[in-house]
Amino acid sequence: MILRSVLSAGVALATLGVAAAPAFAEDITIKVWSRADRSGPMRPGNIVEAADTLNNMLAAAGSDKVVKVELIETNNKGFDADALDVLKAHSVGDSPDIIVAAHEWVGAFAQAGLAANLEDHIKSNPNLYADVIPTLWESVKFKGERFGVPQDSEVRMFFLNNDMLRKAGKSEEFIAGLPEAVNAGEFTMDDLCDLAAEVKDSGASELGIVHRPNVGPDFQMAMASFGIEMYNAEEARLQVTKSGLKDYYSWLHSCVEKGAIPADMTTYSWDSVHEAFRGEKAFSKFHGIWNLGPQLEAFGIDATDGDAYFDKITWINAPAGKKGGEPKNMSHPVVYVVADTPNKDVAAMLVALATQHVPNTKHAVGTNHTPVNYGQAAMPEFVEKGWGLIAGVPLLEYAEFMPNHPKIGQYNAITFQGVQAVETGEMTPDEAAEMVVEELETELGEDLIVLD
Amino acid sequence: MSASSSYRQATNFAVFLGPALVFLLALLVAPIIVDLVVAFTDMAQTVTINEFTTKQFGKLVHASDDSWLGFELRGTFYRALSLTAVFVFLTLTIFNVTFGLILALTTTALPDRLGAFFRAVWLLPRMAPSVVYALLWIWVVDPTERGLLNQLLVHGFGMAPVNMALNHPMALIVISNGFIGASMGMLILTSSIRSIPQHLFHAARADGAGSLSVIRHVVLPALRWPLSYITVFQTLALLVSFEYIFLLMGSSRSTMTMAMLAYTKTLAPGIGSGQYAYGAAITLILIVIGMVSALLLYRLTNMKALLAKPRIEVH
Repeated sequence: MILRSVLSAGVALATLGVAAAPAFAEDITIKVWSRADRSGPMRPGNIVEAADTLNNMLAAAGSDKVVKVELIETNNKGFDADALDVLKAHSVGDSPDIIVAAHEWVGAFAQAGLAANLEDHIKSNPNLYADVIPTLWESVKFKGERFGVPQDSEVRMFFLNNDMLRKAGKSEEFIAGLPEAVNAGEFTMDDLCDLAAEVKDSGASELGIVHRPNVGPDFQMAMASFGIEMYNAEEARLQVTKSGLKDYYSWLHSCVEKGAIPADMTTYSWDSVHEAFRGEKAFSKFHGIWNLGPQLEAFGIDATDGDAYFDKITWINAPAGKKGGEPKNMSHPVVYVVADTPNKDVAAMLVALATQHVPNTKHAVGTNHTPVNYGQAAMPEFVEKGWGLIAGVPLLEYAEFMPNHPKIGQYNAITFQGVQAVETGEMTPDEAAEMVVEELETELGEDLIVLD
Repeated sequence: MSASSSYRQATNFAVFLGPALVFLLALLVAPIIVDLVVAFTDMAQTVTINEFTTKQFGKLVHASDDSWLGFELRGTFYRALSLTAVFVFLTLTIFNVTFGLILALTTTALPDRLGAFFRAVWLLPRMAPSVVYALLWIWVVDPTERGLLNQLLVHGFGMAPVNMALNHPMALIVISNGFIGASMGMLILTSSIRSIPQHLFHAARADGAGSLSVIRHVVLPALRWPLSYITVFQTLALLVSFEYIFLLMGSSRSTMTMAMLAYTKTLAPGIGSGQYAYGAAITLILIVIGMVSALLLYRLTNMKALLAKPRIEVH
């Protein structure tokens, strides 16, 4: 009898405890989804620190609420795979509150009902956002509205090894004049391959140009050089021209023929791509500014010695496809997306705090990404260690973004099929262009405009 | 009485067959049904279904006036089918069956310990984790002079280095898959050879049969059933195999078999995946191809008769 009453009292207490718990809730847990990425540990880290700041504010206001951050770090190989995983989690009702994503996924996230519209949040907090570089906002827009906040930006380039150019008999004037010749449209993509082949044939390097081995933004930058405009913003549809593709693939074909690009480039591992340039086997590498840190280390150059670095390496935009054309660059910002969950207002405030100058500079300088706020460039840390980033800013003049279209991933994958087919010699440039347009039409359907 | 007996029958059924049935339904039947349903939807990256449609299958063909069907297979799909056929046929005939048979015959002909040693060596690839096995292969066929194969060719034979992944991709995936597949044939065939009564060998020897005659008239007839089994089983396994292809070649066009195509369109990292319905449609076709080839092989190898009565027993 006694036992039974003790038991029932216990059960009653437990029930009461469970039912009463939400009434005294003090913890707000914000789930942050991010890839464990060597090139940006502070992306989620800055959110964790923002929570500390916010908690100090809450405590000062006498609130008993505490914001906790739960990190969901994934092992995905790239932003695309990671974005697909977060969409899967969302489809079973397990959405995180903040997502660190590549900007081109904003469209898919918004369409899936995962991303919250941040227009009101951004407009009502001008003191937190007004210094963000305006063009970067373009990267988070879907159908004209902002569904994210830029976390970093970058420039891409062909890195050229000056020592090899010298060994191949090129004068200092020629080397120093390259970036300008590229920007003026005098030095074209074909000239670049000729130069790479010349350096290689002279024995100054083992390889000519190395590019990424897998699908990615660099290729869109090269496509843009050949006049392919990938996006029709008014209709929100992707677009392609067969003639542009033919020019682009013909260029790749001729580069491989000349020996300037290895035919098996697309079967390289990332490590061998990095090693080829950092180990001074390849004359040129087509990638992005965040390579600076590892390059300084590999070449044994002091991290504060910008002059020594630029004596060894030249940066150029992707040259124009035809003489007199415009060079191209591509910035591929990583962004914070706030999910449309009950916690979205708190999550958005954390994003706002993480976007401020001090935390963002920690990320930008630490991992060689260009900043998101204008004011960061004046910070002492930036002036001392960020010389490379400041040098990258002029390249941004020619930068475009990838379209924020839900099917851009497929578009990139299919155009990459053409790259692989041409480089390995499986198809002629014309066949590859035909194949790619057919694949694009089949897979993208109404989301694609074929201009010619 | 009868009630309790039928109750016992029911519990026995649940206890003994239940786990197997649950396993069968959850892991074999359910995936096929899910695949069947998803193949007729528009499920893509957002993992939602908005409509039921046959358009995924439409992606595999395009209209053509020349063809009497009114359509023909699109390049990518046709290519995937042919690559699958070549891959399955070569791996199966060269390695899984022929090489497995040679291994079984030679290792059983050797003294027991030596035979066991060689069999153990051939089992190593199967025992190694697939990633480790693939890494070893990547090192073997590295196109530079660092690769084992090129070290042999360049320093051993004074030849030029070869780039297997670029110039002989099919040979690479056939050999790497074959080295693993051969061990299964070897094991099954070895145990079949072992189960042949010893007196048959003695009798054959007494009648003056040489080693080749013994193999031809005593061993091979006893292996007909296991050989048929290996052929059917490995055909089905190879049809859907993509693990080693992906680990060695990535999403390369040159080895984009049907299974690889389905994987690339759905789950493979960084190559435009997330088209779940499209991948499901490709998988569905693969399932149909698997069923048809299993039935055909079942018929061709006359497995029904072979399954009915053990042929090895000598009365």
